[in-house]
Amino acid sequence: MRKKTLLIVGLFAALAVVATLVLAEPSWAGKLEEAIAKTPVGAGPGMIHPDAPKGFMGIPGAPSHFWLFYILWGIWVGWIFSSVGAFGGIMAGVGHISVFGLSDYAKSFKNTSPTLNKMMTDSIRTSNQYLVGLSALISSFTYYRMGRLVLPLGLCLAIGGILAGYLVPLLTVGKMNVSTYVGFFGIIVFAVAFVLFYETTPSGQAKKKAAKAAAKAFEEAHIKKSTEVSAEHAKGVQVTHWGLSKIAFTFYGQEFSFNPLWPLLGGFVINGISALIGVGGGFLYVPFLTSVAGLPMFIVAGTSALAVLVGMIVNIFNMMVVRQVPVDFLLIGTELVGIAIGSVLGPMTSKKIPEVWLKRIFVILAVYVGIGYLTKGFMGKSILPGM
Amino acid sequence: MDMHPIFRSFDPGLIWFYRITGYAPADFVIGTFVLALLAVVLGNVTVWLALLVGKRHMDRATVEAQKYQDLSMDALASGDRQAYEATNQLANDAFGKTFYTQIAFSGAFLWPICVALAWMQYRFQDLAFPIPFIGLSLGYIGIFILLYIPAYILFKKAKHKLPFFRRIKSALNGYAPKVQHQE
Repeated sequence: MRKKTLLIVGLFAALAVVATLVLAEPSWAGKLEEAIAKTPVGAGPGMIHPDAPKGFMGIPGAPSHFWLFYILWGIWVGWIFSSVGAFGGIMAGVGHISVFGLSDYAKSFKNTSPTLNKMMTDSIRTSNQYLVGLSALISSFTYYRMGRLVLPLGLCLAIGGILAGYLVPLLTVGKMNVSTYVGFFGIIVFAVAFVLFYETTPSGQAKKKAAKAAAKAFEEAHIKKSTEVSAEHAKGVQVTHWGLSKIAFTFYGQEFSFNPLWPLLGGFVINGISALIGVGGGFLYVPFLTSVAGLPMFIVAGTSALAVLVGMIVNIFNMMVVRQVPVDFLLIGTELVGIAIGSVLGPMTSKKIPEVWLKRIFVILAVYVGIGYLTKGFMGKSILPGM
Repeated sequence: MDMHPIFRSFDPGLIWFYRITGYAPADFVIGTFVLALLAVVLGNVTVWLALLVGKRHMDRATVEAQKYQDLSMDALASGDRQAYEATNQLANDAFGKTFYTQIAFSGAFLWPICVALAWMQYRFQDLAFPIPFIGLSLGYIGIFILLYIPAYILFKKAKHKLPFFRRIKSALNGYAPKVQHQE
């Protein structure tokens, strides 16, 4: 079984690498230096002075901060990850866009050096991808070991993901300016804010309460009965029907079915978001499969991990290895140190604040960031300060 | 590109591994493999430090996710669809918590990779290895990733033989999570 799953993972990885290498364009070495050379020389906005101190990505005059500042921001991101969840990814992006001043710096080249403007946009989203995507990949491996695999489902998700992982960079790398990127980022922030908000509403709370009561009732009834593992249960996942409009499988004696179009579309959209924004991709597979497709968590974890793995291999190779989008690795490494510290501090401190209030605080923060980025991205200027 | 002051102190030590044979391609592979191995070892040490402090919380969250996951399977086996949907939803919520905590913990494992790549960026920015027949080339990132995989596998196999990492393993096993279905 272990050999079989390893073989499947290996095949997917090979497929993804081959697909990317065959379809990709030749890389463009030294393109950052070329873009800098084409930028007007001077000390004003939208210009580069060669003698200015080097900052982000080694660009003279680019924003640069004391290393402790990056660690502190990383601690904040790690704290949110381990206490609130998905919003940590958003905050990682906010750091690159606003706190470190990269988007305003990139925007200053809109008219004087559009190539540098777009290159910095690619760099910001690739930095997000490094920071969040690689960590998500490690987590997914852990869950892959825990879960079981529904091969046709993983296959459909992966195909959709590969398609998005190829198409999105092809259509957007070197073409998206920083304002458009910030606007799209604002939309994603609003989506996360909406989910967080729903979880804090009376309806969301009642739903969770009802689920807990049902689980407790079942648990208590279950204690009195001894579960016998029938031969049917021991079989695990058994695919019973392969078709273009329906794939069916049995698990623990129950039949599940899905239209392959949905996971294909789901894989495309989810990995597309990941490739476009740099955050918010991989971890959407699990809620998609449990809530939309109604599949058991027991098999969803392993299957979604496979999809994340394939999607990330395509994204990494396309954005980072083949297209060689320049990133500031030292900045990312320093932030990761902070994230690791924050992950330890989060559980120690967050339990002192009720979860629902923690979420409410972040809903307010998310709405603020969302409005700020939407107006900054699509109207040219943020109506809120600090964005 | 000027080297960041943070790298100047250990640059001579690292570059030494890139000059062992005098044959550039072989030296690049040897040096990068040693660098990848160092990143693996350092990542293991820091992830151990993070787990030493935070493993109890991680285990609590994992146990909760496992508990609801098992309950949902039991509900499925006994044909109770309502209980299955409720427990499956709770398993999803609990899974979310552990997932994001793990993402944050992964930082402890990943930061040496980024620092290694940052150093390589200064040294080998313009280096490109052409891939035969397809007209593409791999830069320093691609080579590092390709060599990181064998370095990781090698270290995974060897660490059980190293006294320091054996002690780490036994320390972490000291409080392994216990799934309790019937509290």
